[in-house]
Amino acid sequence: MSFEPVWGAPIAWYLFLAGLGGGAFITSAFLRWKHPEAHGMRFAGHIIAPVVVIIGLFLLMFDAEAGLHNPLRFALLLHNPCSVMTWGVVFLAAFVIIALITLLLDCLKKQVPVWLEIAGSVFAVCVGAYTGALLGVCQTFPLWNNALLPILFLVSAVSTGMSSVLLVGGLKFPKEFDSVGVLKKFHYCFPIIELVLVASLCFITSYNSVAGFESVMSLVCGNWAVLFWLGFIVVGLVAPTAVETWLLFISKPGFEETPKAHYIGAAADAGVLIGGFLLRFLIVVAALPVALV
Amino acid sequence: MARYGMVIDTTKCIGCGACRLACQNQNDLLSSMPFVKFSEVETGVYPTASLQVVPSQCMHCEDAPCQAVCPTGATYTNEDGIVCIDHGRCIGCKYCMAACPYQARVVDERTGAVDKCRFCTVSALNGTEMSTCVTACPAGVRVFGDLDDPDSEVSKVLAATHATPLLGDATKSKIFYVR
Repeated sequence: MSFEPVWGAPIAWYLFLAGLGGGAFITSAFLRWKHPEAHGMRFAGHIIAPVVVIIGLFLLMFDAEAGLHNPLRFALLLHNPCSVMTWGVVFLAAFVIIALITLLLDCLKKQVPVWLEIAGSVFAVCVGAYTGALLGVCQTFPLWNNALLPILFLVSAVSTGMSSVLLVGGLKFPKEFDSVGVLKKFHYCFPIIELVLVASLCFITSYNSVAGFESVMSLVCGNWAVLFWLGFIVVGLVAPTAVETWLLFISKPGFEETPKAHYIGAAADAGVLIGGFLLRFLIVVAALPVALV
Repeated sequence: MARYGMVIDTTKCIGCGACRLACQNQNDLLSSMPFVKFSEVETGVYPTASLQVVPSQCMHCEDAPCQAVCPTGATYTNEDGIVCIDHGRCIGCKYCMAACPYQARVVDERTGAVDKCRFCTVSALNGTEMSTCVTACPAGVRVFGDLDDPDSEVSKVLAATHATPLLGDATKSKIFYVR
C-alpha cells in the first residue's frame, strides 16, 4: 500500500504562521518588560502577531475543503473537547482576540494593560505548543508521536517570532534595534536549543520503530536531505547562530551598530524564519506511518 | 443491537481486487477513493518464498483514534458498533486521516469530506444483502456478521481460526485476520 502524506504545504504554513504570531506577541511583551523604550519594535510585534495568525487560519480553512464549501460547519469545531484541534480553536480564538485588542489599543495610543499582555502571552505559549501537540497525538507517525515535538515547535515559535520583530527593528527602527541587547541575547540561544531538540528528536525517533527510522532517514539522507541539511540546518539554524556569534561576541566594538551589521543581522533573522517554515514542512511531509503488516 | 465485525482470511486471498471494485460500485466511489486497500508481504527466500496479499479498510475500532480526534463530532460510533461519518458535519480537516493507523480514510474530491468503509450498514441491517465486498469475493476470503451472536458465521469462523486484528489490541479493531 503506497502512502501519501495526509497534510502538505498549506498546513506547514499554518503551523509556522501560528507559531510565528505567538512568538511575535511574546517578543512584544518581553520588550515591554526589558526594553520599554523600544516602542516601534513592540508595535511591529503587535501587528505581526494577529496578522500572520489570521493568514494561517485562512490557509487552514482553505485546506479543509468540506468546511470551505459549508462555512457554518466550522461552528462545530468546539464539539469534541477531547480533540487537540478543538483545544487549538479555543487557544487560537482567545489569542487572536487578545492580539487584536492589543493592536487596537496600540493604534489608539492607549496603554495596553499588563494583565492583557500576560494573558496574551500565555495563550501564545499555548498556541505554539498546541501546534506540536496536534501532530504529537497521532500514534500512526513515530516522527510526530513524542513529547519533544510540542517543545520543539514552541522553541521555534518564540525564535521565529523574535526574528520577525528583530528583522523589522533592524531595517525600520535601527536606534531601537541597537538598544535591545537582552532580547538579542535571548534570541541568540533559541536556534542552539532548537538544534539540540532536533538532534534528540531524530536520534530517539530513529530507534523507536522501523517507520521512525525510515522517517528520520528520509530527512538526513533520503528524499528530504537537501532541504533538511541546507535549508533547515544550515540556513535556518547554523548560519544565523554563526552570524549572531560574530556580531555579538567577535566583531569590532561599534560595528554592530552600523547599517551593514543591521543588514547582516536581518539576513540571519530571515534565515531563522526560513528555517522555522522548513522545520514544520519537513516534519509534516517526512513522517511515515507505522507498518500495517 | 449488534456488534458487527469481519474475518478476513488472507490465506485464501488471491489479490484480484474484486472486493474493492464491488465496494466502489456499491458506494458510488471515485477511482481515487478506495475504501479497500491492499498491502503485500513477502516472506521466506527462493525457492520457498511466498507473497501474501492483505486487504485492509476501516477496522471499525471500538477504541477509534479517528473518533477521538475528530473536532466536529462528524465521526461517531452507532449502536451497532459501526464507525460512521456524518458528512454534514465533516469540515475535511483530515485530522482523522492522520490519526487512523490503518490509513483507511480517503477524501471525496467531490465534497472535500472524508469517507471510508461503511460496513454497508443499510443492506446489512435489512438482512437482505451482505456487504458486496463479501459476496463479490471469488475465494470466500471475507465473513461478515454479528460478533456478539455466538451462532453467527463470523463468530464461528473467529472461534475456529483464532484470527487476530492487524495491530493486536491497539485500537480494539473489529476486523480479524487469518494470516
